Amino acid sequence: MGFTRRDILRASVAGAFATGATALPTQLLAANKTVKIGMNIPMTGDYAPWGLPGLYGCEIVANNINTAGGVKIGGDTYNIEMVAYDHGYDTEKAVQGYKKLVLQDEVKMVMMLGGSTVASVLPWAQRRKMLTTTLLPSDITPESEYLVATCESHPLYNVTGVEYLKAKYPDAKTAAIVTNNDAEYGLQSAATYKAAFEVAGIDVVDVNLHGFDITDFAPIVSSVLAKNPDIFCMATSFYVTPLMEQLYHQGFKGKIISCTLDYYDEIIAKTSREFVDGTIFQFPDFDDPALNDPGVNFPNPGDFDAKYRAAHPNDWSAVSWEYPAILLNWLEGAKAAASVDPTAVLKALRSAKNPEFVFGGGQWWGSQLWGLDNAVVGRWPVVVVENGKARIQEYRSVSGWLEKNKDVLIKHMKELGLRTV
Amino acid sequence: MTGKTGKIISGLVLLAALLLLPHLLQYHHQDLLIFLTINVLVVASYRIVTLTGEWSLIHAVMMGVGGYTATLAFKQFELGMWFTLPLAGIVAAAIAALLCFPLFRMTQFYFLIGSFAAGEAIRLCWIQFVNPFGGTGGLSGVEPPLIGNIDFLEPVPYYYLTLVVVGMCLFILHRIEKSRIGLILHSVHWNSPLAESVGVDTWRYRALAFIIGSFFVGVAGGLKVHYLGTITPNQFGVGFMVFILIWVIVGGYNRFYGPVIGVVVLTLFDESIRSLEELRPAIYGAVLIASILFLPQGLESIPTRIRRLFSRKPENDSSPSNK
Repeated sequence: MGFTRRDILRASVAGAFATGATALPTQLLAANKTVKIGMNIPMTGDYAPWGLPGLYGCEIVANNINTAGGVKIGGDTYNIEMVAYDHGYDTEKAVQGYKKLVLQDEVKMVMMLGGSTVASVLPWAQRRKMLTTTLLPSDITPESEYLVATCESHPLYNVTGVEYLKAKYPDAKTAAIVTNNDAEYGLQSAATYKAAFEVAGIDVVDVNLHGFDITDFAPIVSSVLAKNPDIFCMATSFYVTPLMEQLYHQGFKGKIISCTLDYYDEIIAKTSREFVDGTIFQFPDFDDPALNDPGVNFPNPGDFDAKYRAAHPNDWSAVSWEYPAILLNWLEGAKAAASVDPTAVLKALRSAKNPEFVFGGGQWWGSQLWGLDNAVVGRWPVVVVENGKARIQEYRSVSGWLEKNKDVLIKHMKELGLRTV
Repeated sequence: MTGKTGKIISGLVLLAALLLLPHLLQYHHQDLLIFLTINVLVVASYRIVTLTGEWSLIHAVMMGVGGYTATLAFKQFELGMWFTLPLAGIVAAAIAALLCFPLFRMTQFYFLIGSFAAGEAIRLCWIQFVNPFGGTGGLSGVEPPLIGNIDFLEPVPYYYLTLVVVGMCLFILHRIEKSRIGLILHSVHWNSPLAESVGVDTWRYRALAFIIGSFFVGVAGGLKVHYLGTITPNQFGVGFMVFILIWVIVGGYNRFYGPVIGVVVLTLFDESIRSLEELRPAIYGAVLIASILFLPQGLESIPTRIRRLFSRKPENDSSPSNK
C-alpha cells in the first residue's frame, strides 16, 4: 500500500499533536521554580563510599519528586536540583566547595559527611546563615547554630545493638572492641560501645585502637582473640571486611557486633554465609519489610531500594539512604516554614518538640555532650544478617537509653580524651 | 629603556596584577588564590633546601609543624596571629635543627629516605597523641587575626595579608640566596670537596639551608591554619609532599622563580582537571614524565629556549649565503 501526500500530511499533524501532548508536562515542570540542595562530600578517595552513594540516593529521590510534578512550598511549586562538590575529604577543598555551593550555586542547604571538613566550613555556615547537615553530631559546638544532624547520630545509635545483644544472648559476658584511633569516628564509637557494654553488664576485656595505615589485620585479631572475648565489636567500619576475614580464618565462634557492615555481600563471598549470619549492626537495606512500619518517614523504601540497586548495583552503603532521608527531612521543614530560606527552615525544624526523622518521632539532643541540642535522636533499628541478608530485628530507643545513661557515656567520652562541654 | 627600568616596570605591573586579581575572581577561586600564594612560599622555601643538592621528603611535615604550633599557641595560650606566625617558623626551625644531627649524617638517597622516615615519625605523633594534637581528626577553631574592622575571615583581606607576609618571606629568601651564604650553598651543591678544601663547613651549611627552609615553611603552615581554621595530619602527608616535588621539578629549580612558576601553572592546571579527579594521579604522572623528558630544566627554561631559537635563526639564514 502506498502513501499519498495527504496521508503524510495527516500523519505529520498527528505527530505534532502527539509531540505537543508529551511535551506538556515538561513545560509544566519548567514552570516550576527550582530549589538547589548542595552536597559537599567526598566522591573520590578513601571516604568516597560515605559520600558518592548518598548523592546517587538523593538523585533518585529528587527525580521521583520532580517527575511527580515537584513539591509545594509556600505558594510555589519547586523542582529539586542536587548540586554536588567533591572535596575528597580535604579541608581546603571543603572550604572552596562550600563557598561555591553557597555563593555561586545559591543552594539552600549543604549536606556534609562530617569531621574536619565540617569544622573547616563552620564559620561560614554561621556567617552565611546556611543550614548545614552532618552525620557526626560530635561536630556540633555551642556556637554551631546552623549545623544539625537530622538523620544519623553517629555513634549514639550503637547502644541499641548492644541492648539487643544482651537481651538475645545473656550468656555473653565479655567483649573486645577494635576500631581505628581517630577522634571523629573511631574513638567516639569506642566510647559509646564501652558505655553501652558497661550499662549492659558486659566486661570490656580489650580496646584495640589501630591506625589508618594498617594493612595486616592478622596480628590485631590474634591479640584480641587471645583475651578470649565472647563478643568481637568493630566500633567503626573502615576495616570491617579485613577484620571479618581474619575472624573467619582464625576461627572465631563468638558473637560479632559492628557499627556498619557495608558491602556485606563481599564479606560473605570472602568468608561464608554461615559465618556472617548473626552479625549485628545498625544499617538496614531498604527492601526490608520492617521499613513499612507506619512510623518510618521514608516514602516507599522498597521502590527506592530497587531503583537504587538497578542504577548502581555495587554502590549501596550506609549513606545511600541517609542523605536522601536528610533531604526529605528538609522538605518537611521547608513545607512547615512555607519557605526555602535556610533560617526559616531551621526554625521550623527546631520548633518541633518531637521532630519527625527517618525512623519516626525523635527529640533534639546534644547540649549535654556538645553544647547544643542540634542532633535528632529517637529509635534506631537493630539489624542482623539472616541467611545472607540484612534484616531489621527490632527498633530500640536511643533517646531512652541516653536519658538513663548519659552520664556513663560522658564518662567514657572523657576517658578517651573526647570533647564534651 | 634600561634593564633596571624594565625590571621596575615589570615589577609594578606584576604587583598591580596581584592586587587586582582577587577582584576578578569568583568567591571560591579567591580561596584558591590564598592557598596558591601560601604554596608559593612552600616551594620557594623548599628550593633553599635543594640549593645544597639535598632533596628532602620532610618539607610538608615541617609545614605541619608550623601549622600545629600556630594552632596550639592560639588555642592553649590564646596568642594572636602576629605571635603565632613567627612562633610557627621558630618551632619548625628548632625541630629542623634537632633533626640535622641524625639526618645530615646521610647524603643524597639516604638523606631522602631518612627525611621521609623522620617526617612520618612526626606525623604519627600527631595521629597517636590525641591530646594535644587531636589525632586523625586534628584540631579546629583557629581564627584569623583581628585588625580594627578588617574581617580576615573574608578571602580578599586575608589574601592581601598573605601576599604581604609571603612577599616579605620571598624577599628575605631571595636576599639569602644572593648573599655570600647563598653562594656557599651553591658551592656545597656543585663541588662539595672543593668547598671543604677552602674551609667551608659543608655540614653546617647544609643544616643551615634545612633550618632556613623549615622556618619559612613553618610560617606558611601558620598562614594556612589561620585561614582554614582546622588542621589535620593528612594535610601534610606524602601526597602533599609529592605535589611539592612535582611543582619544583616541573617549574625548574635553577632559578629562584622556577618553583614559583611550577606551582602557579600546575595549580591552574589542577583546577582545570577538577572533573577528572580519579585520573589526577595518572595525569600528574604523565606531566612529570613529559617534563623530565622534554623540559628537564623545567618551565623556567622556556624563555631561554625561545631566545636561543630566535638567536640561532639569523645564523642559520646567513650561513648558506655566506658559503
